[in-house]
Amino acid sequence: MTHSLPAPAALTNSWPDDLSPLPWRTRILHLSARDVEDALSAETPNESHLAALLSPAAQPFLETIAQHAQRLTVRHFGRTIALYIPLYLSDICSGGCIYCGFAADRPRPRRALALKEIESELLAIKTLGFEEILLLTGERAPQADVNYLETAIHQASHHFHRVTLEVFPMEKAEYHRLACAGCTAVSLYQETYQRTDYATLHRWGPKRDYDARLDAPSRALDAGIRSVGLGALWGLADPLSDALSLYRHVRQLQRRFWKSEITLAFPRIRPQAGDFQPSFPVDERLLAQIIWAFRICLPTVSMSLSTRESPAFRDGMAGVGINKMSIASRTTVGGYQTPQPAADGQFIIHDDRDLPTFSRALKNKGLEPIFKNWESLYRTVPA
Amino acid sequence: MNTDIFSLGGQSFSSRLFLGTGKFANSDLMARSLMASGAQLVTVALRRFNRETPADDLCAPLLKIPGLCLVPNTSGARNAEEAVQAALLGRELTGSSFVKLEIHPNPHHLLPDPIETYEAARRLVPLGFQVLPYIPADPVLAKRLEDLGCAAVMPLGAPIGSGRGLATLDMIRIILADSRIPVIVDAGLRAPSDAAQAMEMGCSAVLVNSAIAAAGEPVEMAVAFAEAVCAGRRAFRAGLMERSASASATSPLTAFLSPPAGADA
Repeated sequence: MTHSLPAPAALTNSWPDDLSPLPWRTRILHLSARDVEDALSAETPNESHLAALLSPAAQPFLETIAQHAQRLTVRHFGRTIALYIPLYLSDICSGGCIYCGFAADRPRPRRALALKEIESELLAIKTLGFEEILLLTGERAPQADVNYLETAIHQASHHFHRVTLEVFPMEKAEYHRLACAGCTAVSLYQETYQRTDYATLHRWGPKRDYDARLDAPSRALDAGIRSVGLGALWGLADPLSDALSLYRHVRQLQRRFWKSEITLAFPRIRPQAGDFQPSFPVDERLLAQIIWAFRICLPTVSMSLSTRESPAFRDGMAGVGINKMSIASRTTVGGYQTPQPAADGQFIIHDDRDLPTFSRALKNKGLEPIFKNWESLYRTVPA
Repeated sequence: MNTDIFSLGGQSFSSRLFLGTGKFANSDLMARSLMASGAQLVTVALRRFNRETPADDLCAPLLKIPGLCLVPNTSGARNAEEAVQAALLGRELTGSSFVKLEIHPNPHHLLPDPIETYEAARRLVPLGFQVLPYIPADPVLAKRLEDLGCAAVMPLGAPIGSGRGLATLDMIRIILADSRIPVIVDAGLRAPSDAAQAMEMGCSAVLVNSAIAAAGEPVEMAVAFAEAVCAGRRAFRAGLMERSASASATSPLTAFLSPPAGADA
């Protein structure tokens, strides 16, 4: 085995019943090569196939798995990579996430962009050629609340066809307001689906409320947001449990919100302020295995990878499981107008290539970078 | 000289292979595949149109091809209202009165919504659009859309990108039997033989995208599809021999019956 996995007995966690990774998390260590082969030839892959592809038994098949994942990525997304860019609106945060560079107890200057600054950041980004923007803040704060976001989205939706939000859980009425302002998608990662770990990692603030976070994607979709992005922050907790729970979460939302898009991202814990050491480090090989297992079992789901990862890893994953990527990102507030030390960002960027360099790398791989894959006309919000 | 001209929405086409423009590794490959296929009608998703910088969007190479009919599609629209707005914008951008009406509310299987599609067609036809609706292979829906005045119907062979070929064959036969407007099979085709089969059955044209864009050699595959479409069309016009389920019985089963009245004994 190239990476060690905790024995199920060591897991003392609990999950909501419908998202429990059991029994597959227990069986996973006993799955065989035969189970992996079955998963690779399954017509409609399900949870048991995901478990097989995540299992240690699948490691010797990694090349075959990658090739299968690539075929499915090309089939559903073509030879293209959709590109987007993040804009950090604010690093003011009430949260106590033990692993985050923006956590409230980290001594650092904090600010939220003024409306005028947002406009100039948007224009700076627009000049680069992007048509999809991801707006981010910390946990809910008076300086970066729903009113503030509503204005920011309104501004961004003038310049960009697709505006996505990665902020904090909200009520349905709040999501509805943001959908009406032009927000097409919301990303909200549960970080870990395991309650015990979740409670340890989120020391104070509203984010301690596991259930409020877990149900937020449903509230967003209910309110007319068209697409929600789910994910786990790999490294925080047992990755196989989180992968199985994440899969269940996706399937649950797909069944309930049949007109909505569910997407996935694969953030992995990286070094940043506070020197947090992940308890369950996920190496590149395991991260790739997880991504490919998801691609095979959820072939039509859009899957993205951020600049947290290295250029070599990103180039390798582009078009092989991954169909969407950010690039030219700054993770500091106001970073597009005034570049700041990368260590001040929410996480350290490992792929700091500029857009032309990255586009060339994609083209060399036979992949077309695409910027506009959405249309601002498609923003009607049901009452 | 090709005398088998296909008339659609008031325009004439000598090629019965239509192409989608998504999923290609680059726009040059897309343009070369298109040229090689001889297609005269291509669809472009409005969500991919970049109206602010048309110079570098995917339409730029298409606009350089003389005589090419560029048809905007409404993919991404979730309901009739969005599709109508998209059609209006598409007409403004391309100058074409054709619209490929595509409403698939579920972003995962991309199957068309018959109810919203019908409603959008009902609104678009009076606005002067030549509506090409992408639909489930439902013979009743096909007739309802014909009654509205659509220029053609585009039943799916199988889900978009699935490469499962003519999975809806039996329903397409029923649509063909009764349709008075062109039937164009769209989506699901994987092999040129799928396209040939659709043409042999009497479809007026086929629309292909993934099967060419995701092929190992898209330009070669475009040629292969063009040839298959021609072969299938030719076979349809020539008239396929009847399929016989079994050989004739050697001993007649009706010999015991008395001969018909008036026959010689």
